[in-house]
Amino acid sequence: MQNNFGLRIVLDILIFSAVIHGWWFIAVPLALSGAWKYAYFCEFIIAGIIYDSLFGLVPGNGVAGYAGIILSIVLLLLVAILKRVLRR
Amino acid sequence: MRIVLSFSIAKMTYLQPHRRPYQQFARFGAVIVGVIVLACVVIIIFAPHLFSAVFTSMARPFWRMEFSAMSGSLKSPERLLAENEELRNRLTDLELSSETIDFVLAENQELKTLLGRGNDVQTSTSSEYMAPIVDGVLAAVLKRPPVSPYDEIIIDVGRDYTISTSSLIYAVGNVLIGRVVDVLGTTSKVRLFSSPGERYEVLIGTSNTPATAIGRGGGQYEAQVSREAGVRESDFVTNPSVSQRPFAQVTAVLSDPTQPFETVIFAPMVNIYQLKWVIVR
Repeated sequence: MQNNFGLRIVLDILIFSAVIHGWWFIAVPLALSGAWKYAYFCEFIIAGIIYDSLFGLVPGNGVAGYAGIILSIVLLLLVAILKRVLRR
Repeated sequence: MRIVLSFSIAKMTYLQPHRRPYQQFARFGAVIVGVIVLACVVIIIFAPHLFSAVFTSMARPFWRMEFSAMSGSLKSPERLLAENEELRNRLTDLELSSETIDFVLAENQELKTLLGRGNDVQTSTSSEYMAPIVDGVLAAVLKRPPVSPYDEIIIDVGRDYTISTSSLIYAVGNVLIGRVVDVLGTTSKVRLFSSPGERYEVLIGTSNTPATAIGRGGGQYEAQVSREAGVRESDFVTNPSVSQRPFAQVTAVLSDPTQPFETVIFAPMVNIYQLKWVIVR
């Protein structure tokens, strides 16, 4: 349990570092692996919010400015459903 | 004894909870996630700059450090001194070249005056185009494509300088590349004119062929022109509604013999992936 928690913190730091540098292509696989390993990996959504706050949320961009948030929610839901189906 | 054991097993089986603990935990987790998402949506709607301001101020020190590392501020003193010396030599060379340019400019101005053309019309060869930058705010580019899929750059000036969402962004060489779309405390977001879906009326080539430029992202534009227009590679592209100065150059002309139109691909005269400094006006 202790190890799991430590690993989760390390994963969070890696995701946060990738997000503030705009490396979504690194943050997404890391967040997906976190979502697969841990239940309720809400850091995924938080990462999406931070990403859009830094690089998106620009007036006039429309829904495209919320791509990070939308993608994180959709992927988190997909992983949750997939886990449920495969681990039944 | 056997009877008691079987009774206790039966009792344990019977007393197992109807709803498993993880189901309750799942519901609790889902509620937490839902509340977070709802709170974020409400904050984004009612205070759209709150998250941007908070997270940008958190990320700015990291970006500044990265910028310093990339621009060589963290090099050794010996290396910096050598680079300084080399730059001084180059500056001397450029000063000599600049004198030649000044002479040509003066001659150009004289010829224009002789032909009855003053400075009332800005052209790519007017003195203003070649003049050094004296107005505007110099800004460091903290983030640039392709790390951001939104095809924008982030600069290190914000409300602390007199810039607004209508400010235009010029790259080195006075090349117009975008405009400020969001101003935060100490940073601003700049959308490049080449952002996907952006449309501009432009004039291409020496014949000033009118066309609609569509941003393709990554500093690329495309436009459809008639085959008879005679557009060639390295032709200049201007945008009269924004500036008379050329802001792009044709990089490729894709022609299909079965089509009456050809596709012109053009890009800014600066590489947006290598931008380090820009001017905000």
